Amino acid sequence: MNCDTHPSLNLFAAYQRMLRKRLRYFLSDLHPLLYADVVSALQEKGKLLSRSHRKVANTTFAPPSGIWSLLTLLIALLISPQHNLLLISSVSVAVEFFICALDLLDDIEDEDQTRIVRDLGPARVLNVSTTLLALAQRAILSLSQLEVAPELITRLLNTLQEVTLTATTGQHRDIQAEQRPVQDLTYEECIEIATQKAGSLTSLACRLGALCAGANDDVCQQFSELGKLLGIAHQLDNDCHDLYYLLHREDAITLSTNTEKNTRTKTDLVRGKKTLPIVLAAKVENTFQETSQSENKEQKEAYLQSLDEGILASWSICLLYRERARDCLQEIETRHSVSPALRLLLGFT
Amino acid sequence: MEEKQILDFVHRVSHDETLCKEVINNPDHVIMRENFSPRVAQIITRLIPHLAANQLEPLTPSLKFWF
Repeated sequence: MNCDTHPSLNLFAAYQRMLRKRLRYFLSDLHPLLYADVVSALQEKGKLLSRSHRKVANTTFAPPSGIWSLLTLLIALLISPQHNLLLISSVSVAVEFFICALDLLDDIEDEDQTRIVRDLGPARVLNVSTTLLALAQRAILSLSQLEVAPELITRLLNTLQEVTLTATTGQHRDIQAEQRPVQDLTYEECIEIATQKAGSLTSLACRLGALCAGANDDVCQQFSELGKLLGIAHQLDNDCHDLYYLLHREDAITLSTNTEKNTRTKTDLVRGKKTLPIVLAAKVENTFQETSQSENKEQKEAYLQSLDEGILASWSICLLYRERARDCLQEIETRHSVSPALRLLLGFT
Repeated sequence: MEEKQILDFVHRVSHDETLCKEVINNPDHVIMRENFSPRVAQIITRLIPHLAANQLEPLTPSLKFWF
């Protein structure tokens, strides 16, 4: 079953068609060689041109293709259901290009052997990323052809620039943390990095949706906050699951047969990524670094227990941010009716 | 501060067998005694299956598709 034909995902089908049409418009004049590689990047899991096929249990929500652009689009439609669809789909596609570009950079910076890196090699991946960044700007600048006020175009571009700087700051701190002893890092620092890296990106997708639909500053700020809280929760969830799968791989086989994900997880640990579960585990087990290498059975057990505690504590914090995001969405709902599609996408069914 | 309350509680439960058993057998009583806010109480309640199991249970639902 194609994941986009799952019953719950029919909610998104019409929006996806509209977004794909707009996305192809922006790609139309690329050189065929570059076009092929850009399309390949946009066919990665979760991206708008993704062609992933998977079996989905009726009760399980499988993410639709193009989650990032859908998020922007659905928020814009929530603010202003009758708004110019060409305008909001252009901004949504800009978000799709932007996130895809940053994901490619992340693959290279983390030395992940993802499908796209294996297929294209680092040089072409980097060039595709640069192309996508330019396409994100092109998509926003195209609004001038739709007689959109220049002030709005400038505000959209400014937001994109600000988030780029915040996200790259978070990424830089994260990369540099790899060289630091784990005991040096604090809970607060991990949350700050997650806020800059993931919080800023989800915040961007939400804020641009509200902004392009004509929301006032207060509403834009509310959506930024929603995105920030969700982004932090998603990042922590990701870190917890990655470590969980690695530690409990036998169980994980039944949950995930995604070898690419497992490779990425291993790479993260080998590189010494200081994710929150690892940092919290190190606070539990003071001799963390020594015991991680130990052959002593008791020390090894204590090490693994501390990692489990780190995962559980981090997952609790993830749930806390989810609940804060839920409260934020409820506040938004006092002014706007949230569609079932947006609720499903955000995981608040 | 909710974060501190949650982190402290997870740490205590992980290292105090008596408290761990109490949370598993009588969570409402422990939650009331700890004076948790409704939001923190809700999160602690979701941890109970993990605390009750010999090893960490799968964390569901997963939101992994975002990052």
